[in-house]
Amino acid sequence: MPAGLDKLRHIVVLMMENRSFDHMLGSLKAVNPKIDGIDANAFTNPDNSGNPVKPLPNAQFQAQLQPDPDHHFPAVDLQIFGGNTGAGRQPNMQGFVKSYFNQQRDAKHSQMIMYYFPQAKLPVLTTLALEFAVFNRWFASIPGPTICNRAFAHYGTSFGRVDLNPIYPPGTIKSIYSRMINANPKRTAKVYYYDTTSSTMEVANLLQNQPELFGTYGQFLSDCKHGDLPDYSFIEPNYSDHQGDSGEEVANDQHPDHNVQAGEVFMASIYQAIKNNPQLWETTALLITYDEHGGIFDHVPPPSCPKDIFTADGNATGTGVPFQFDRFGVRVPTILVSPWIRKGTVDDRVFDHASIPATVTKFFLGDWSPRSPRETSADIFIEPQGAAVDPARNVLSLDTMRTDCPDFDV
Amino acid sequence: MVLVRVPKPPKSAYDPNRPMSSLLRSQVDHLQEAEAKLPLQYCSRLYAKAIRTEAEAARYIREVTEGIHRAHEDAARSRKVGKAPARRRVIEIAAVADERPHARARKRRAAKGKKTSAKKKRKK
Repeated sequence: MPAGLDKLRHIVVLMMENRSFDHMLGSLKAVNPKIDGIDANAFTNPDNSGNPVKPLPNAQFQAQLQPDPDHHFPAVDLQIFGGNTGAGRQPNMQGFVKSYFNQQRDAKHSQMIMYYFPQAKLPVLTTLALEFAVFNRWFASIPGPTICNRAFAHYGTSFGRVDLNPIYPPGTIKSIYSRMINANPKRTAKVYYYDTTSSTMEVANLLQNQPELFGTYGQFLSDCKHGDLPDYSFIEPNYSDHQGDSGEEVANDQHPDHNVQAGEVFMASIYQAIKNNPQLWETTALLITYDEHGGIFDHVPPPSCPKDIFTADGNATGTGVPFQFDRFGVRVPTILVSPWIRKGTVDDRVFDHASIPATVTKFFLGDWSPRSPRETSADIFIEPQGAAVDPARNVLSLDTMRTDCPDFDV
Repeated sequence: MVLVRVPKPPKSAYDPNRPMSSLLRSQVDHLQEAEAKLPLQYCSRLYAKAIRTEAEAARYIREVTEGIHRAHEDAARSRKVGKAPARRRVIEIAAVADERPHARARKRRAAKGKKTSAKKKRKK
């Protein structure tokens, strides 16, 4: 078995908020042409008058995307299909400027939805993308907002929801945490939210029933330091500016209009917490992803996918047309970090957030049933131990651990 | 090994008076539903519908999150000890007043039971 897989004991997932692939990593195409980023001459979006708007490297850390770009189901439908509601339509990614224009009726302001960050402005995310593995085809699970997309990371389904309403799982499909702690032999899993003031987005299901599964970011740092990290960890960022126990806490989830640099610091501190414990660094894979695109442009049309067992009716989608969960949402930045990954790895396989419970289940528990059709059909980003490993599918491919991985001054 | 400098956000990034986003609104709504299931002594006493800013949302979210944790901790503690979770003082006084007659009745029943079984033994 490849050494990196053989050594792997911990999977850590950090899920940030509301930024698209092109917006955050699109500039990297100029550095590594294998990264499917921005070609400003090849992709434009029409404004409200039909004039083409090019992507520009003018994204600011804050105070630009106000109001918060619409990313509810009907708006994302417009963004992906450009306003075409006819039968047999194909996604063309032509509706981002139109959608943002709808919010303020301001043509100039609506063009800001096509802004992206130059590499130098995001030293943490772009360094990790260039140093480790970046996924060219990781999509949000649903063309919709946060809660239902995050549900896919926890359950492999949103149980028919396409909105921000609370999700009460019917009980047949267990969360990845429940699967882990009820397995035989028992596994360990934890959701680390930033602090009790930021808390979790997994309120109804987990916090209510299983508080032992929850920890704070402070506990995560302590668990890393003392080698107490569970088999599987899911980290939630700070969702609000608030007064914490140690003073002012700036939201670091990168949700517009929260400061993007604060999220960079947060990512770097998670990376360093793992890397600073040599034993943990050797045995851990860190996945950094975003729940959805937040209404911000991306040029890759989301493909169709096998439908789920649930259907959202026309009222729930807000478009009048039912949704069978048979298409992904917009592409999001996703990076896998491990010292066993070859520098500059670019993976072209298709993933979505259902790949998270699919991978964690397969790696730690093997076969598991019942799971949603979306999860069972989702690809896995880490190959299971023990089985014959196809080298073409194994991202943790190095025979010896890297010693040239970067450090961040956090 | 490369050391990458990570710029910190400026002081001005902090704005607790920012209107809360639809995401925070939904988090507050979720916690309100969770809070409705909690025993009264763990509830926040904050009016969730009046929340407008991030700081106000954060305060409510903290109180409910801590309340839920306290409720579960108390339940776990009482599970170990084998008795019901301790109540707050005010409620305790009312509870004692409520419970005394029941306790007396229980004692009476228990005493009566002992006497009856003793009589039966003697008869035999």
